[in-house]
This record gives sequence, C-alpha cells and structure tokens, in this order.
Amino acid sequence: MTTVGTFRTLALSPPGRRVGSLLRHPRAARVLSWVGFVAAWQLVVPFLPTDLVPTPSEVAVFMWNELRMETVAPHTVYESFSLSFQRLGVGLFLAFAIGVPLGLLMGLRRWADWFLHDFVVVGLAMPSLVWALVAGMWFGFGDLAPVVTVTLAAVTFVVINVAEGVRNVPKELLDMSGAYGVSRYATIRHVIFPSLMPFFFAALRYGLANAWKGLVLAEVWASTEGAGWVIKFWYDAHRSQGIVGYALFFIIVAIFIERIVFGRLSRWVFRWRPSDDRRTPEPEATDRDEAVPAAVPAATPGRQ
Amino acid sequence: MATIKVTDLRKEFVTDTSTVVAIENVSFEVGGHEFVSVVGPSGCGKSTLLNILSGIESATRGTVDITEGDRQAKLGYVFQSARLLPWRSVIDNLLFVQSTRGPQVRARCERYLDMVQLAHTARQYPGQLSGGMQQRVGIARAFSIEPDLLLMDEPFSHLDAITARSLRRELHAMWQETRKTVLFVTHDVSEAVELSTRIIMLARGGRLVADLPVELPFPRDPASDAVALARADLLRRFESLDLLAT
Repeated sequence: MTTVGTFRTLALSPPGRRVGSLLRHPRAARVLSWVGFVAAWQLVVPFLPTDLVPTPSEVAVFMWNELRMETVAPHTVYESFSLSFQRLGVGLFLAFAIGVPLGLLMGLRRWADWFLHDFVVVGLAMPSLVWALVAGMWFGFGDLAPVVTVTLAAVTFVVINVAEGVRNVPKELLDMSGAYGVSRYATIRHVIFPSLMPFFFAALRYGLANAWKGLVLAEVWASTEGAGWVIKFWYDAHRSQGIVGYALFFIIVAIFIERIVFGRLSRWVFRWRPSDDRRTPEPEATDRDEAVPAAVPAATPGRQ
Repeated sequence: MATIKVTDLRKEFVTDTSTVVAIENVSFEVGGHEFVSVVGPSGCGKSTLLNILSGIESATRGTVDITEGDRQAKLGYVFQSARLLPWRSVIDNLLFVQSTRGPQVRARCERYLDMVQLAHTARQYPGQLSGGMQQRVGIARAFSIEPDLLLMDEPFSHLDAITARSLRRELHAMWQETRKTVLFVTHDVSEAVELSTRIIMLARGGRLVADLPVELPFPRDPASDAVALARADLLRRFESLDLLAT
C-alpha cells in the first residue's frame, strides 16, 4: 500500500499534475502545441546548414514591416490581398453562376447527370496548377487568367454539391407540400432552397479552398500583381522570410474566413438546428391532462 | 360535409423484377362527419390508400371522388412523422400550408396551436420541441386549413403510450368541436375502437375484408368494459378473416 502511495505521489507531483490538467483543456492544449512548435522552430533553425530557412522571429519582423507598409515590394500587403480578393470574388461568383444551374440540372434530370458526370469528375480530379498554367497560356498576364482559374477550380465543387443537394431534398417534405396543395414557387422557396443550404455551404467551403490555391498559382504564373505574385517576388529576391511570411498571411486570411465569416454565416443560416440547451421541455400536466386518470397510479398524490 | 367515394381502386408498384399489388379492387363510401378508421396488418396498403386519396400517388385503376357539396373538398393530412419544415418556426409551418395570407389567417393558426396547447411555442423551431409536441403541431397544421376532410396516417404510432393517449383525447375533442370527416389509418384496433364511428379492415394484398360500424357512445374510456368488449369482438372477427393471406 505504501509503495503504491509513494509511486502515485512521484508520478503526479503538483507541477506535473498542473501540466496534465492544462493539457486536458482543449484551448490550452492547442496554444501549448503552437508555442512548442514555434519554440522548436526557433531553436532548430540556427543549427541547419543553410541560411534559406528563416527563424520565426525573422518571419515575424518581416510580417510586421509588411503590415506597416515598410516594404521593398512594388505593392503593399493590403493592395496585394485586396486585388486577390477581388479576383477571388469575381471568380467564385462566376463559378456559382455557372455551377448552380448545372448542378440543378444534374440533380433534376438523369440525362443531364449522364451527360455531365464524367466532365465533373475530370474537373474534380484536375490539379489547380493545370488550370493556372492553361489559363495563363490562354489569357496572358492580367486579371483574366486568375479569375478563370478560380472559376475552373471551384465550379465542379459547386456542380457536384448542388446536384447532390437536389437529390437529397427530403421527399417526405415535398409530399407534404403536394398533399396540402402548396404552390410550386412556395415549395421551391421554402422547401427545396433551404434543403440545399448545407450543400451550398459545402460547395462554398471546398470551392473556396480549391479556388484560393488556384488563384495563388495563377498569380505566380500569369500575373504581375496580387498576393500570389508577391510570393514569387520574394522567391526571386531569395527572401525566404517573405515567402513564409506571405504563406502565414494566407493562413491567417483562411482562418479568418473559416472562423469569422463562415462560422457566423453558418450559425445564422442554420439557427434552426436544435441544440440541447434550446429544447423546450414537455409542459407539466395541463387542465386537460389532469382530467384524465393518471397512467401511472403510484405517481398520483394520495393514491399510495 | 365532405364525402369520399372510392370505386374499384387498384394500385400496383412495378419494379424491375416484379409487380406488387398494394390495393386490390377497394370500394367504399364515407359520408360527412364520420370518423372512419382503416385498420389492417403492416403492408396491407393503408398508407398507400391515403396517399392516393391525397394525390401524392396515383391509382393504377379505379376512381376517387372527394367532394364538399359541388366543389372539390379541401384536405388536411397528418403523417406518421410530423413532417415539419425544420427551418421554419412552428407558426410559420402552419402559415406555410395556408392558401391565403393575412392577420385573420394568422389568428386562426394561433387558435389551432392553442387548441393543441402549444401557443407558447409559436416562435420556436420544430427541433426545439419533443416528438409528441411536433406531432401536435402536425395536427394543428392539418386543422388550421379548416379542411373538409382530414387524412391521418398512424399519427400516434411513433409516440410513447402516455403521449399517444393524450393526443387521442385532444384529437377526439377537436373532432367533436369541428365535426370534420376523418379517415384515420392505424394498425391498433384499440385506438380505432376508441375514436371511430366506423372501421374498415384491409387484409394483406390490399383487399377490403370488413366494413363495420362502432356503435358505442362517446366519450369512450379505453379501460371501460364496453370498449374492451367491442375490441375483443372486433379482434375475433378479424382473426376469422385470415388477414395475412395474400
């Protein structure tokens, strides 16, 4: 007994216990993992046989200077990302403008599915790099190649998700609308369209992720401005902290879009989804309930 | 006063390998203010019959006339599951099936929600309600369009016994108040005896094998001797009909 007690004391000494309980907290564990990663990065880099891997502190200084617009690049980080966002927005808009009707057609008509299915699969399998190179060759330097790349990289995700969404519109709700004689317009607006929303979100998420990668590649190959092009600028300048710094800007933007934009939008659009704390409990017995003999006599006062 | 006239109805479901007959030569009539239960074993075509009456499915052969005077009757449908739009609030689910809009229509919907004791949930979403409460909303929705004929497809079969009993009482009270014609599908003979003025029995293969009046005074206490005797008598009759033979 004594031995076991000593062992337990040694194994879980107060500092060890504190670290253990800290790691069990999800947010603390996440922060600790990042702190550990950055510390390891900072410690390891000076021992590497190259000066092309920047330390985190060098990257941080670079990013801070970029944010303060103290840069030798021809465009500031704000100008570059602003232009990239415009291209991304236009490209995604076109992807949805083309992809939604095609997806609806594929979901509603079997012949359209047979006709388009293989092309959609090819589009899904095609690396964004290929779209970027092809668009660069076709449209040269300028805005068009990145926009076309974004559209091509995202459109198949939109098509496939919308088609799947249409096929998954709950038949029982459509039957209910039909049984009550609800108009076609009201059925589309209040039954079909809301059923598609999760699939629209999936299309937006995957389409955006793929389009974002395609945009960077297109700007590297076929542009003279934009965030992707600035990465190439720092590559040509042999400034590795510039490449890593801009990659981190991309990550920060992606996290911002995912957590803030999509997170809030999703919470608002799907506010109807149940969560346990919002459930309404069954009301206590009402007058009408009380007028009926209790189903479980033992629960009725005075009948024990 | 809605009337139903079903004549020589047949429904087949054709698959790649076979043809399944769900309803075979069914004919019956239902007059106004009747509460008719359709009972039978699983797979005997009860739900298919209601789906044909509501227009969700079409008949392979035969005719269905549902009239209210000289016009087509207005139908309300209560399904096995509530079939509420989860993204619309309770009151909006009732408004969704209305053919007109306006404050009077809204007030009517609120009145029927109140009848099922759910007025306080009007602004909530279906996902925030229990299964029993959702089914009550489904019943309120059906009554809220003030239908001439109410079709009900095993509306209490997914609920626990206590909730189902409570809802049967509410349904009976609403029927007594509104005197709508009701066609009520159930596999529960006790439920049929408790609620109906008449019972239609379907056998496997969709054959109509019995059409019997239930001549007991309301209210019917399911624990009473009269209801128990009627239920036992019906079960004896049904057993003698060989319902599972196809």
